[in-house]
Amino acid sequence: MRLLSSFIATVIALSVAGGIGSADQARAAGKFVFTAIPDQDESKLRKRFGKVANYLSKELGMKVEYVPVKSYAAAVTAFRNNQVQLAWFGGLSGVRARLLVKGSTAIAQGKKDPFFETYFIAHSSTGLSYSKNFPKGIAGKTFTFGSKGSTSGRLMPEYHIRQAFGKAPSQVFKRVGFSGNHSRTVSLVQSGAFQVGATNFKVWKRGLKDGSIDPKKVKVIWKTPGYPDYNWTIRGDVDQSFGNGFSKKVQKALLSMSDPDLLKSFPREAFISAKNDDYKPILDTAKLLKLID
Amino acid sequence: MPLIEFRGESAGYSGQTVLSNLDFSIEAGERIALVGESGAGKSTLLRLIYERSGANAALVPQEFGLVQALTVFHNVYMGQLHCRSIWRNLHNLLRPRRDDVAEVEKVVEKLRLGDKIFTGVGELSGGQQQRTAVGRALYHPGDLLVADEPVSSVDEHQAQEILETINGEKNTVVIAMHDRALAIQFSDRLIGIKSGEIALDVSAAGMKPSDLDSLYQVGSS
Amino acid sequence: MTAKKSSSPLARTTGIFFGVAFVCACFSDLAITTVDPWAEFSRLLAGILTPDFFSTDSLMLSLGYTLAFALLGVALSNIIGFGLALLFFSRTVRVFCAVIRSVHELFWALIFLQLFGLSPLTGILAITIPYAGIIAKVYAEILEEADPTPLQALPYGTARISAFVFVRLPDAFAHFRSYSMYRLECGLRSSAVLGFIGLPTLGFHLESAFKEGHYSEVSALLILFYFVIATMRFWMRRPLLPVYLIIAVIILPWGAEFSASNIVRFLTEDILPHPLRDPSASMVEWFHLIIIEQAVPGIIATLQLTMVALIATGLLTMIFFPLISPLLLGPKARGIGHVFLVITRSTPEYILAFVLLQLWGPSMLPAIVALALHNGAIIGHLVGRYTEQISLRPDTPAGANRYFFEISPRVYRPMLALLFYRWEVILRETAILGMLGIATLGFYVDSAFADLRFDRAMVLIAITAVLNICVDAISRKVRSYLRLQTSLEHR
Repeated sequence: MRLLSSFIATVIALSVAGGIGSADQARAAGKFVFTAIPDQDESKLRKRFGKVANYLSKELGMKVEYVPVKSYAAAVTAFRNNQVQLAWFGGLSGVRARLLVKGSTAIAQGKKDPFFETYFIAHSSTGLSYSKNFPKGIAGKTFTFGSKGSTSGRLMPEYHIRQAFGKAPSQVFKRVGFSGNHSRTVSLVQSGAFQVGATNFKVWKRGLKDGSIDPKKVKVIWKTPGYPDYNWTIRGDVDQSFGNGFSKKVQKALLSMSDPDLLKSFPREAFISAKNDDYKPILDTAKLLKLID
Repeated sequence: MPLIEFRGESAGYSGQTVLSNLDFSIEAGERIALVGESGAGKSTLLRLIYERSGANAALVPQEFGLVQALTVFHNVYMGQLHCRSIWRNLHNLLRPRRDDVAEVEKVVEKLRLGDKIFTGVGELSGGQQQRTAVGRALYHPGDLLVADEPVSSVDEHQAQEILETINGEKNTVVIAMHDRALAIQFSDRLIGIKSGEIALDVSAAGMKPSDLDSLYQVGSS
Repeated sequence: MTAKKSSSPLARTTGIFFGVAFVCACFSDLAITTVDPWAEFSRLLAGILTPDFFSTDSLMLSLGYTLAFALLGVALSNIIGFGLALLFFSRTVRVFCAVIRSVHELFWALIFLQLFGLSPLTGILAITIPYAGIIAKVYAEILEEADPTPLQALPYGTARISAFVFVRLPDAFAHFRSYSMYRLECGLRSSAVLGFIGLPTLGFHLESAFKEGHYSEVSALLILFYFVIATMRFWMRRPLLPVYLIIAVIILPWGAEFSASNIVRFLTEDILPHPLRDPSASMVEWFHLIIIEQAVPGIIATLQLTMVALIATGLLTMIFFPLISPLLLGPKARGIGHVFLVITRSTPEYILAFVLLQLWGPSMLPAIVALALHNGAIIGHLVGRYTEQISLRPDTPAGANRYFFEISPRVYRPMLALLFYRWEVILRETAILGMLGIATLGFYVDSAFADLRFDRAMVLIAITAVLNICVDAISRKVRSYLRLQTSLEHR
């Protein structure tokens, strides 16, 4: 009956869609887009990185946009597919991204990122306390990592667990989970949903400062040795798309970021330059754990 | 030359014989009433006659065969679907053409459904639905009408009117009816069916309803 | 003389399914692992009671995107599904439809994310493709079950197209329309859930808010979502549909570019088994890893969870349907029952499971309860409506006796029909819940995507699809063995 008119309307709507879509794409070409791994409090990401986008916009003299993503893998995929040209990665996601996009380079890292640490934390009911050596007492407990693709929340803690026990985490613990991000790991251990967890030391310190962590319920039981972690990575073809020396310009803008308000949102004291080779240890560890083929 | 001819045939469905020893013919211009108990095989015989006649026959099935979601106009119009181009059919489906509405209206008026022409069939009473089904058959251009109990859902007076209209519009008529008086009144030939065989084939002139009793009695023939 | 007790096929089948579910439950991890689940629950409750509509960035925009994805996805899948339904006589088409609907929309979205990134095309296609498969099947059934008598009364020599549009289509169309409305409701749920993996719909904010325990924000998002679904029949007017579709197309952020080379690379490189790309890797090892270490435990957990959830759904249905049955409750109590069932069935099981996981910690229990609540509310609603058609004798008993002797026996058969019809749906959801951390197939699929190992992801998704098709076939066998039928409105 009126089926036909519905069909026609839909066809019209879809052709309009096509029209707008292609027009939009043409417009999108002049835009520089970046993203960041959702490693903590996601609802604050947009605010944090919105400011950074404004700063870069001003420094580079062009429209810069931040696109939020839900997972580490999504950040890498967006970078690989050239939907973003710059990204704030973790160690592992950065290594993965640079393997997938030939010519891409790490251009900056936080001042302390070359010596990043993971904290093993435990609920007070476990009776575990801080030790200098790897806490073998965590065997048989329930354990949560952060995101599956995180360096400080997954790669490094798993590496140390395998080193200590010679077994996969699923064989060491009663139950293994992936909380999704670092702040979530802290709150899951604090609530007792998991007895032990591994989190990023920056997130831990910030939580202590802002009072979201109750030191009576959850405490640090071990700190890993330092390793290189977070980095800004840029695609190799940006000089072609945005003009010669563009990559250097972005690096300069990042390194000269001095507004404490901006830096606090990472949270970093300052950015220093980085190069791909800085992350060789991460690549080797990832290959060892068969996270990268 | 008879319109339809059966020479000692049997009929049935899914492997079961319902009718056997069929041996009769129908001439153009005849008005035939099929009588007999329910289950005797009247509907099967009607279907057989309908299938033999091809595009020349219009059918009024016992269960009306109406499309509930469409209006009276559309259902009646379906009597000439095969005569029109697909585009004209689609046009009428979405937006009835004035000329076709006028044609359909003539038929519908005769059946006293004029005010319901654009009412959905689903909203009509049983009697109105039955009249719509008759209307579709009348709109059909063929001269043979095959109807299975076409007046079962209307009152006596309307039944008379409808059968009169049918007889006035169609040249040859074959109708199955359970009302013996109506059957005698509106036909000129009676075919009685009993237990899957033709038990009676007589002229209707001068028959009384009680003459048909034997068709409805158990055990005798 | 002793009467021999013989059990009916219905009772026997019920017994077998109960037995299987019991064995599965015995081997399941059903622990509540949080130390103090009620503390978190009371925080949740407090949040729910104090909704905060102003803390979410661009709340209205994400609501708009949720609607836009659902509308465009359901509209497109209706057109494609209708076309496929017309070709359903072909075995190839039937198999094709079974395959595309056996993959959950979240898995489709994960695949399309690789192809098109965060382009709106990802969200629209993720809904369109599985829905087209479902719609094709349902529409084909509707067309097949259309009243055949008008067809027999058509004049001899009527063209097939004319016969189709005049006889088959008009009656089927009313069913299509009401089914489309139901699909749109499903589409809204799917669209919201797509936010969990990064599309800009309500789920995007819902996931963040949940994870961080901002329960007032959660409450606002959910209220908004329920409101849209509850008012659907007021705003979803057919003449307005073209307008909605055009608006949907305009508001979606089409800016994100995608290139053909990404698509080609994904299809010709990324999903090829790794050993084919890297000669130093062993094919046997690759296969062993996927099948033995991931697929097998994944399949076992998926089936285990599905069976327990299926029986739990049945049990909850028998508890839920009286809530809206006029034969058992008065109008006031039924009003409350309706609200409860509407909210429970409008909440996607993915979100329910997510909430319960936050509260109880990771085990199979939250998944089972979420699946049983959501599906029990859907079937309970349909069974409750069914009881409206039952007429009881005047001297019928009241209360529990009425429930057990008069009503339960009469609704049991239709209840089982609906339950087995949803078996496949429950399985598909079970697989997806793995993405929340329960070790069903979805867990391994999610891990493969997290490691950017698309070859593994595709194999695991294919295995999930095959499992789904098998369960669908078994369910059909059981239904035909027990001669269970679902009426058209109940799909």
